[in-house]
Amino acid sequence: MSRPAPGRLRLPKAPAVLEEELAGGLRAIAVRRRAVPLVEVRLVFAMAAENITKAAGPTVLAESVLAGTDRRNRRELAEAVERLGGRLGASHGEDRFVLAASVLAGNLDKLLEILAEVLHGASYPRAEVSADRERLANETLIALSQPEVIADEALRRRLYPGHPYAAGIPRPSALRKVGAGNLRALHRGLLNPRAGRLVLVGDIDTRRAIGRASDILAPWLASAQRVDVRLPPPAGARPGPISLVARPGSVQSNIRLGRSAPSRSDPDWPAAALANLVFGGLFASRLVENLRERHGYTYSPGSAIRHGRAASSLVVEADVATLATAAALVETRYELGRMAVTGVSDGEFDSARRYAVGTFSFLTATQSGLADTLATLSLAGVGPGYLTSYPAAVARTTKAEVEAAARHYFAPATLLTVIVGDADDVAGPLSAIDGVTVSSS
Amino acid sequence: MPAGRSSLASLQRSVLDNGLRVIVAPDRSSPLVGVAVIYDVGFRSEPEGRTGFAHLFEHLMFQGSANVSKIEHVQLVQSAGGQVNGHTMPDLTAYYEALPAGELELALWLEADRMGSLALTEENLRNQVAVVEEEIKVNVLNRPYGGFPWIPLPALAFTTYPNAHNGYGDFAHLEDATLEDAAEFRAQYYAPTNAVLVVCGDCDPDEVLAAADRHFGGIAGGPVPPHGPYPEPRPSAELRGAIEDRLAPQAAFAVGYRSPDPVNQLEEYAAYAALASVLSDGDASRLRRRLVYEDRSVTDVGCILGTFGMDTFYMRDPVLFQIVVFHPGVATTDELQDVIDNELERLAGDGPSPEELARVAAGLAASHWRSVDPVLERTLSLASVATIHGRAELVAELPDLLAAVEPAAIAAAAVDLLNQHRALLELVPGGET
Repeated sequence: MSRPAPGRLRLPKAPAVLEEELAGGLRAIAVRRRAVPLVEVRLVFAMAAENITKAAGPTVLAESVLAGTDRRNRRELAEAVERLGGRLGASHGEDRFVLAASVLAGNLDKLLEILAEVLHGASYPRAEVSADRERLANETLIALSQPEVIADEALRRRLYPGHPYAAGIPRPSALRKVGAGNLRALHRGLLNPRAGRLVLVGDIDTRRAIGRASDILAPWLASAQRVDVRLPPPAGARPGPISLVARPGSVQSNIRLGRSAPSRSDPDWPAAALANLVFGGLFASRLVENLRERHGYTYSPGSAIRHGRAASSLVVEADVATLATAAALVETRYELGRMAVTGVSDGEFDSARRYAVGTFSFLTATQSGLADTLATLSLAGVGPGYLTSYPAAVARTTKAEVEAAARHYFAPATLLTVIVGDADDVAGPLSAIDGVTVSSS
Repeated sequence: MPAGRSSLASLQRSVLDNGLRVIVAPDRSSPLVGVAVIYDVGFRSEPEGRTGFAHLFEHLMFQGSANVSKIEHVQLVQSAGGQVNGHTMPDLTAYYEALPAGELELALWLEADRMGSLALTEENLRNQVAVVEEEIKVNVLNRPYGGFPWIPLPALAFTTYPNAHNGYGDFAHLEDATLEDAAEFRAQYYAPTNAVLVVCGDCDPDEVLAAADRHFGGIAGGPVPPHGPYPEPRPSAELRGAIEDRLAPQAAFAVGYRSPDPVNQLEEYAAYAALASVLSDGDASRLRRRLVYEDRSVTDVGCILGTFGMDTFYMRDPVLFQIVVFHPGVATTDELQDVIDNELERLAGDGPSPEELARVAAGLAASHWRSVDPVLERTLSLASVATIHGRAELVAELPDLLAAVEPAAIAAAAVDLLNQHRALLELVPGGET
């Protein structure tokens, strides 16, 4: 059998999105998807700068917001959600706070009632809060012992000097200072309808679902207050010497390179996204072919463009054998240099374009994937039209535009380098390549 | 009926002349299609002295075949707008793609090419040994709790090689692997006779069955190799062990119990799955409530029926029922184990209340629907269950099977755990606290 010919590039169809602004300024977004008999619910909030800088409060709040209400304790709340075939959890990311739920479709109203009870009446019992923050302090110790977390924190400090994004994971000492009274005040500021988005995706009648949400959440919607969640843009990061974070006894080094990248609304974004795929965003990319398949230095090298509300960044990563650390950095910078000065092939360009358009459908093929995507886009100030405008923009992008983006964003002189590893073994070889400053983890 | 539900209910199947089983589950809820080829071999079947070989061989399957060069398999799928990967488990090895519906033929062609031929070189073998060693460093050696408890607990709980050995492999064994080993392993386990092909998603079943025959029909059939179960007697005394983890900041322990045969005693086995959920799914579950929220002696507790957690119905006998606890050392392991036993005794006496069980059944049903919403997960569930249980329909039946578990069956499962000689493995932290 001969190799099947590639099919034509097919752009995704637009889902039918219903979007409405509810009382209190809460934006509600709903889509009907019937593949499985569930509804995914997301209630996401943009975090203000001070809550990102001092994330201990939001971190404990995420753990304690379900610790009890004026009507039920933690256990009763959990039982009520589970009876519905539901799940309800709270978490926060770099710059947003998320209440995520999922429920058997027929039980959506009852789940919204529980959500309303939590939003309007979370009680933060003192004993629960103190146990929660102690447990979080212990979990934080585990997180901070992961090499990839150490690398991410070091990279943030270099990418965002003086910016809230540099803060990283709150330390145990900060978590232990968060009290129940702090949380009640924080709850009103953080879980504020005016800074929020409600997303419903699943086996629902969208108009009815938004109507019911508006009625059921009314007492909480009425509590909306003015809020400023704008974030400052980060100051430019300087490449400078390699930051080597010493982690004695490491059998691998975690290499990270980073710089600023275009946001989703920047005209450079589609071309930069394609350049990233050619470089390291795909398995069949230059970085993976070199570091993994040619040299066997690493298992899963890659690169990605990450979008926050205040900034987007290009991050290149490889966890490599200790002895191969300097060699892997040389190859990584070589591949960056090749991107910046020698252009991309027709085959690479075509692959990247087809991958970007084809796999975009995966993001939105499941109820949970579509709910997460819509919530993320809305918080970023990008409407659901992006679900079709982005793939169309990718399909229109030319090879010359991708090469221009590669020259600009992949120039090795513009990326800063952070490495976590055994400094005794790697500092010497690295200093042959670049300046090195060593710190302890 | 929603598309996802109907696709699990209306399966079409055929067996090619060379023995390849083909299953098609049409579902037009998204314009995507999933393809999985699962070979009935996992790390429990790899030869002694070659630990890690089944997983290494999975890597080698991406190194090229008669018409496809190294990396090209992945390159072609990604260029078609698709995703591709593989994984190795105790009893099966899976290869899979998810693509836009119009690109189905490409995935079939690629899977057939590497089923029918493999182009291995010494250089590529050495390269992938190095890659696998870096994978093991990322996931085991360079991280706290790496490989815990899936590698050390079976080593304590079992005595026979298939069940007890490290499926990731010893570096010495990986480095000893030869091209001859690979050829032999392939000849024994990678014939169409020992595989199942599942296509699920936006497709026409008749066209898929014809295309499967076109692409795979010319591959020669092969032996039906031996495979599990690998039964061994339950321990005759409690087994205790400890490992030191110099990177871990906090203590942990894992308890391993035996469960019923997951294939031949499926209903009894389902009761152990429900028991795991009663004990540790959600904030109202018995062990979370008691240890995390009431006693506050534990940071996290979880129950796993299987090896990794999502593989409950993808394994043959024996399967461990695991309770895994992370704790700050306020209470001793024995004290915490006593609390666990106390909770098991309460269940053994009264069973869960009907209300509690209804809650757990609703949760398990919703989890099931969530897990099969992505087309690739649906494809893999069908192929995994078809491999181990011989009936892909079981995927659609699981919610009812779990909902039918009676309180008495859960009480009986708790009694069985209490009466067993368990394996108790402590992880001693060596990191800074």
